[in-house]
Amino acid sequence: MPRSTRDAGRPPGEVRIELFATARAAAGVRELRLEVPGRGLTARAFVAVLGARWPTLAPILRHSRLVRGDEYLEGGRPRIRPGDRVSVHPPYGGG
Amino acid sequence: MTGAVRLTDRPLSVPAAARALAGPGLGGVVLFVGRVRPDRTAAGRVVALDYEADRRRAVRRLEEIAREARSRFGAGRVVLWHRVGRVPVDAPSVIVGAAAGHRAPAFAAARFLIEELKRSVPLWKATRARPARPRRPRPRRRTARSAG
Repeated sequence: MPRSTRDAGRPPGEVRIELFATARAAAGVRELRLEVPGRGLTARAFVAVLGARWPTLAPILRHSRLVRGDEYLEGGRPRIRPGDRVSVHPPYGGG
Repeated sequence: MTGAVRLTDRPLSVPAAARALAGPGLGGVVLFVGRVRPDRTAAGRVVALDYEADRRRAVRRLEEIAREARSRFGAGRVVLWHRVGRVPVDAPSVIVGAAAGHRAPAFAAARFLIEELKRSVPLWKATRARPARPRRPRPRRRTARSAG
């Protein structure tokens, strides 16, 4: 079944967001929760909603990447859905 | 975590890394050590760096990089060690090394290890600095004229 049909009747739900480094410092917490529609949000839309809800995070989000499991989420294709757990990775600084 | 890969809050040992790279036929050994510099910053003199990692993903990526260095450059042994938590000035925060039959693949593999680590491993650092003490104004020297 295509995803759009399958998701049509899904209720909205929470996404858990794990923050690291400057993202955590900007938000002041290690984890956030954001309600998303049942059909989910694209990564781009998710970042926009997150930044609007927590404005101190917005400048960090512009340079960060979202990660779900092993996958970096970018642009308009991957959808973030209720029940997902994503991490915010600011630019890496090891070494 | 394999012996080649370490993500630890304990001090990193350069001699231990050199020992881990020893092996029969491994005539070229390259070891890179990154240490915390006592840089001057706007906040004062750096005394330490606080490193944090997205641990699970960092270890997995370190293991991928170590595997790729072996297969791509023919390195017989590699080390890819990074410290997390507070790392004081002069202490190693990272050690990478590669051992191969000859120097060229050892250098290439070591370069690959450190560049990939910096580019793709979810690690972050925050600076701990000690603010400079405000300078006390020097007492004005009395000149013969002002002494009257």
